[in-house]
Amino acid sequence: MSEFVERAVSVPAETAAGRRPIGLLLVAIPVFLVIWLVIWPAINAISRTIWRTDADGNSSFDLSSYAFFFSDRYSLDNLAITLWTTLVCAVLLLVICLPIALYLRFSHGRLPAYVQALAILPMFVPSIILAFAFIRVLGPNGMVDILLNAVGLPKIRTPYLTPWGPVIGLVWDNIPLTVLILLSGLGSVANQSIEAARDVGANTLRVFWHIILPRISNSILVALSFSVLGIFSSFTLPYLLGPASPEMLGPFMQRTLRDVQDPIGAMTQAVVAFGFCILFGLFYVRSVAKNRGK
Amino acid sequence: MSVLHIAEVTKTFSGGTHAVNSFSLDVADGELVCLLGPSGSGKSTLLRMVGGFEQPTSGRITIDGEDVTHLPPERRPTGMVFQSHALWTHMNVFKNLAFGLKLRRMPAAEIREKVEAVLELVGLAGYGDRMTNQLSGGQQQRVALARSLVLEPKILLLDEPFASLDQHLRERLREEVRDIQQRLGITTLFVTHGQDEALSMADRIVVMANGKTEQIGRPDVVYRDPKTPFVAGFIGTMNLVEGEVKNGHFARSDFSFPLSIADGPATLAIRPEALDLTVSETPKAKVHRVTDYGSHGLVDLDLADGTRLKSMVAHPDLFRTGQGVDLEPRAVAAYRNNQQIFRS
Ligand SMILES: Nc1ncnc2c1ncn2[C@@H]1O[C@H](COP(=O)(O)OP(=O)(O)OP(=O)(O)O)[C@@H](O)[C@H]1O
Ligand SMILES: [Mg+2]
Repeated sequence: MSEFVERAVSVPAETAAGRRPIGLLLVAIPVFLVIWLVIWPAINAISRTIWRTDADGNSSFDLSSYAFFFSDRYSLDNLAITLWTTLVCAVLLLVICLPIALYLRFSHGRLPAYVQALAILPMFVPSIILAFAFIRVLGPNGMVDILLNAVGLPKIRTPYLTPWGPVIGLVWDNIPLTVLILLSGLGSVANQSIEAARDVGANTLRVFWHIILPRISNSILVALSFSVLGIFSSFTLPYLLGPASPEMLGPFMQRTLRDVQDPIGAMTQAVVAFGFCILFGLFYVRSVAKNRGK
Repeated sequence: MSVLHIAEVTKTFSGGTHAVNSFSLDVADGELVCLLGPSGSGKSTLLRMVGGFEQPTSGRITIDGEDVTHLPPERRPTGMVFQSHALWTHMNVFKNLAFGLKLRRMPAAEIREKVEAVLELVGLAGYGDRMTNQLSGGQQQRVALARSLVLEPKILLLDEPFASLDQHLRERLREEVRDIQQRLGITTLFVTHGQDEALSMADRIVVMANGKTEQIGRPDVVYRDPKTPFVAGFIGTMNLVEGEVKNGHFARSDFSFPLSIADGPATLAIRPEALDLTVSETPKAKVHRVTDYGSHGLVDLDLADGTRLKSMVAHPDLFRTGQGVDLEPRAVAAYRNNQQIFRS
């Protein structure tokens, strides 16, 4: 049996003998990079947080860093604010991007082209610049304050350095990708299938709910999981715009590593974040598989 | 009792295209009218205006006396079958058919009953649980038809529903649709650019060109007596010969034919089956090619100036390429300035 398999495998290998090393090389590079940069550090981090070396140099199984994380009020607050920010951003992204994508898909002429350009623009603006623009406009004594002051109105309560600061920045940052993914999903909804629905008596809302939404549910899922994963582990915007306490996991990790000089603590936070991302990933894979099965 | 009335409807698109130009048509109760015309003649645009998917630039559309010109599709008593079936692929066949009934808040038991009856009608009983991508092209079109029929529309609109199917299936579905339409007595507007489809199905044909009516009439009348050279050339095969009339004789090259109309230019229309050939010593045309179809033959001939004519003959073996022949038209029509001025 195995002999047969070997021979069967070796036949194409001989004919493609010249091409084989190149193919292997092409596959090897990304595989190597993934192992080196992702899998190895992950395993390393996990093992170093659960196999701890004590003062005498004996290593032993030890979950104390996790026990600390999940009992420490401050760590838990940070985890909560991270989850809250991610959830609020996901909801806002959907509420903002779906109407934009629908508008772009179903209207004609020149105006939609400009709207699309505008919606995609944030993709080309680096987060740092975005953060400073945010501060100049919405921050204390920013443009909005100056304008309000000019017409004799009181200042706004600025979202800068509140949990809403990162939310606004992250939503803005993620609009382009979300719009593009939703738009490509809407592209697969045929005009005639919508007209057929109107023909049998469905108004705009019903067409959206019964015909369009089921067809793009996968795209919504893809768009949301992309942005959710990015937002959950984001650093720059929460660091520059968010409050000092509680803070999102990104800045929290950075501070634990640099300022507190507690590498094991930072690694534990990273492993927890990694775990949540894997949970999101599993949810995504399961939903897509369920949709496929339908 | 459902009557469709289209009065002076014009549609000008934003680019300035006059897709439909001052078009009028009355469709009687239970009648099947075919809109026939070349690509771009405005058939789909007209149908879409009746269905409510396009707004006429001017004119009025009424159904049973009720003005529907400005109603959206969901509030019109029309049912449309699209060229690409446009079924909802995330629903199975039953749900596709039930969707419109559910929107009308019909009780579930009644919906089931109606859907099963209409599936039976289109010959798909028991297919309710299939997903639409598990059906053949012909079955998908039947589901699309059933989806419209189940709502019992006053006017049924079909836009080239069989265009994507093969010849065989097309002919079968054509007959089925005609049967169903007659059984239900449903007023129907049918768009096609296949003339055989129009000739075999329609109570009346509307021949369209450039957004306008060229001729409206029963299929046999339109075939036998085309009122304009366009219709003559578009319906069936026709020899259209341009020439001059002088002293009661039409002439083109060596071919001449007694024609008692005023002098001037004219277009002579002769059906291939009305053009007799005889082998002659003083030929007016030369045989270019003979095609034997078994039941009959078709002879292509050239006049001396190269004008190509077709003649249908009972015995193609009498003729061969290069032979000189004499022409004897049995029935002709003559046109001048796009008007018929003579018919024999
Ligand atoms: N949405 C539109 N915008 C601009 N012009 C259009 C639009 N729809 C159709 N037209 C133009 O209107 C004319 C008639 O089009 P229509 O689709 O009614 O033709 P048709 O008779 O159905 O042709 P076919 O047999 O190819 O389907 C064409 O010249 C077409 O280019
Ligand atoms: Mg068309």
